[in-house]
Amino acid sequence: MHRFARTTSRLIAGIAVASIVATACAGQPGGGPEPAASAETPQKGGRIIEGSFADIKTLNPMLTNDVPSSNVTGRIYEPLYLPDPKTGEVKPNLGKWTISSDGLTYNWEIDANASWSDGKPITGEDYLTDVKAIARSKATVRKSNYELIEGFNDYCVGPATCKGTATAISGIQVDKSNPKKFSVKFTKAFCPALVNAFGTTAGPLPTHIFGKYTVDNDPTKNIDAAPENTAPTVASGPFKFKEWRKGDQVILERNDTYWKGPAFADQYIFKVVADSTVLAAQLKTGEINYGTIEAKDFDDIARQENLKISEYQNLGYTYIGWNTKSAGAPALADKRVRQALAYGLDMDLVVKQILFGHGTKMVQHHPPVSWAAPDPKTLNQYPLDKAKAEDLIKQAGYAKGSDGFYAKEGKTLEFSIVANSGNKVRETLLQVATEQYKGIGVKVNPKLEAFETMVDKLTNGNQEIQGWIIGWSLGIEPDPYGIWHSSQIPDPAKKTTGFNFGAFTAPGFDKAMEDGRSPANGDCSQAARKKNYETFNKTLNDEQPYNFGFSDNRIAVTPKSMRNFDPGPFSTYWNIEKWWFKQ
Amino acid sequence: MRSLKYILRRLLYAIPTLLAISILTFALSRLAPGDPVRLFTFGATDLTQQDIEALRHTYGLDQPAPVQYGDWLWSAVFFDVGRPPSLASQSILYHRPAAGLLFERLGNTLQLALAALLLQLLIGVPLGVIAAFKRGSLTDKFVRIFAVSGHALPTFWLGLMLIYLVSVNLRLLPSQGLLTIGHDQWDIPDRLRHILMPAFVLALAGIANYSRYLRTETLEVISQDFIRTAHAKGLRERTVIVSHAFRNALIPVVTALGGILAVLVSGALIVEQVFTWPGVGQFTYAAVRSKDYPIVMAGVMFASTLLVLSYIIRDIAYSVVDPRIKAS
Repeated sequence: MHRFARTTSRLIAGIAVASIVATACAGQPGGGPEPAASAETPQKGGRIIEGSFADIKTLNPMLTNDVPSSNVTGRIYEPLYLPDPKTGEVKPNLGKWTISSDGLTYNWEIDANASWSDGKPITGEDYLTDVKAIARSKATVRKSNYELIEGFNDYCVGPATCKGTATAISGIQVDKSNPKKFSVKFTKAFCPALVNAFGTTAGPLPTHIFGKYTVDNDPTKNIDAAPENTAPTVASGPFKFKEWRKGDQVILERNDTYWKGPAFADQYIFKVVADSTVLAAQLKTGEINYGTIEAKDFDDIARQENLKISEYQNLGYTYIGWNTKSAGAPALADKRVRQALAYGLDMDLVVKQILFGHGTKMVQHHPPVSWAAPDPKTLNQYPLDKAKAEDLIKQAGYAKGSDGFYAKEGKTLEFSIVANSGNKVRETLLQVATEQYKGIGVKVNPKLEAFETMVDKLTNGNQEIQGWIIGWSLGIEPDPYGIWHSSQIPDPAKKTTGFNFGAFTAPGFDKAMEDGRSPANGDCSQAARKKNYETFNKTLNDEQPYNFGFSDNRIAVTPKSMRNFDPGPFSTYWNIEKWWFKQ
Repeated sequence: MRSLKYILRRLLYAIPTLLAISILTFALSRLAPGDPVRLFTFGATDLTQQDIEALRHTYGLDQPAPVQYGDWLWSAVFFDVGRPPSLASQSILYHRPAAGLLFERLGNTLQLALAALLLQLLIGVPLGVIAAFKRGSLTDKFVRIFAVSGHALPTFWLGLMLIYLVSVNLRLLPSQGLLTIGHDQWDIPDRLRHILMPAFVLALAGIANYSRYLRTETLEVISQDFIRTAHAKGLRERTVIVSHAFRNALIPVVTALGGILAVLVSGALIVEQVFTWPGVGQFTYAAVRSKDYPIVMAGVMFASTLLVLSYIIRDIAYSVVDPRIKAS
């Protein structure tokens, strides 16, 4: 989802960005059919060279907050679990787990063969080192993922909820008889805990390297300035650190002690390139051999005999949001008007024209490939229907004036929509929306602003914003609380910020989200949670607080000679140790 | 002794100049809308309000602007003397001292600037002298047209066109970065292949300037009596040009070198961006976009200090060449 780079880079970093579509067409040929990989014998050697628009910031997973850093640290540090690349189902990886009957305690056992690249075993103590480092760090953005661990708030420093008085985290216990085993006790059953507290950025950190930076009885000591943050000395993943040429490339080399067996590729290199055009050009010349291109470059790349395209839907979407409490645009508070705005914009055409067909129209929050998404047949798809749109506007009490626009009590049905300048996709969507809404008698005042200005206004609840175009990039954990719960409505008067920019609420809406993350009976099964998310998505589908826009496809490009590259919406690198090049 | 006093006086004058620049940069960066913590945590929906506030407190962003400035000044300039280390001069995104991060990239920028300077001298100077001696000829006209167009071409456009032509179509030179993947840091030929295009683009305006400048200076010199005398003595044309005309025409150019290097370093921003050259300019530009204030401050102060110092060096060089300047 690099098109949303500015948005996505602030994702719940480290989570393997997922994308979707059951109709994903992995392995589309660029020039002709590739040989069947199964009949071939893997060969060692070669370099995986990934192109990126930005350099990494850190090589410590607990400090990452951007996609490049997460991508590279994810190759060095192994996570406890991995999501299934196609379904998002969370599966054991470095560790396997069981959950106590009350849903409060997770018992983990790390693989017996798992060791650091210097030969030392990976143990439960290494997980504890990671959590302690996060608790005492002043720079990490991950504390909230752990605050429900018993004793965490007594140990941590920083936010108001942290006391920093304890010298241990009581909820984490490492088995003395078998240090590979450890347990983590939470203060309440919380379904996102598995993904959040044991995820890709919460893997074990080597105690013998980082343990010294966090001092139990001195809360002022932390890991933030450790030299190993930029030059890690040991690895648990398939590659270990070799060199970081700042601003240019990061070089990792094969970890021969990797617990799943050494990778086939000699090196993984992360190379910085200027933009999408350069990335496409370098894929063609072979200067890089893995990258994600934009839809505009699809046809050009598809013509290349030596390249292969893997396309799948992204776990995110670009939308037009409506401020449902705007004093300047009261029409947006009316559900009928918002529904009219869904009927009045031909999003299928937008997908076809702006994304060249490489995307999907969205009518709800969770993308179709997410297990939390309801059956599309149960949702209103809002096909283009201008007559119905105008009918809904009339039902809301508006009458068409001589200027072609609807009005009520002398006030024209008009509002502004702002998009961030420089993002061509969003700028074009803004133009199309302005034109098409004019066609149903709604006047849009288009505006462009710098991304940082928009972020400031949106998160602070600035009421100048009436409509806006931006994107969400979602993780493997579908909990929508942080975006949609009423507690997340920013309030300038109280100086509170949040991501429910449009101040949307509806009866039963909050409860559906609360039950989806903390069910009363502690049942965190997908089936149990899905019911709540069906209610949640159907409310959104009916109320249309956003025009949910579209979800663009992720278009990954590799050479045809690369084998076993099999990305899915929920993970790209899940089998990177098995990627190999046919000589 | 008088020279030393002159130098010290100039250095003393530089302090309020740099202080004023730092206040202006600090104020402008804070006045621009946007908050770095909100920007880099945008979309991190699991963060709580307390987390955001704690992060803002960590970087001192919850303090009044004058306090923040004083904190930065004490941290960046006086290295936190007399107090516990502060994060005021640490990058918000990299969690490391901004000056150190900049220093890591300084070598790349200096390489580019020096390569550009070399090209300016090697191409611009001979072009100017040749044009002067062949005044009115086709060569002279070509140099003059080149000088005008070289000055007028936008660097980003020229860079992109060269990438398209030389790298994508002809595949003669690499388009991006410092080194080819797999090549050692000290692979000088590979490094030269990478630096050639960005250095040329960065140098072009200077080449144009030098050729015009040298042409004018040389024309002035060759009309003087001592050149006529040299000719009258029967010296060869080559000797007249190299030993008499060229050396005299070059004096002002040499004295201006310091200033030109500073202009090249600060002017490398766009070129570094186009060619993904990992230098100070590219790094500072990225910091401006992400509102990483300490890096912005460090980048601007570095360029400003270099510029101020280079002007001092230039003035000193002038004073050495022409004592009348010092006297005034």
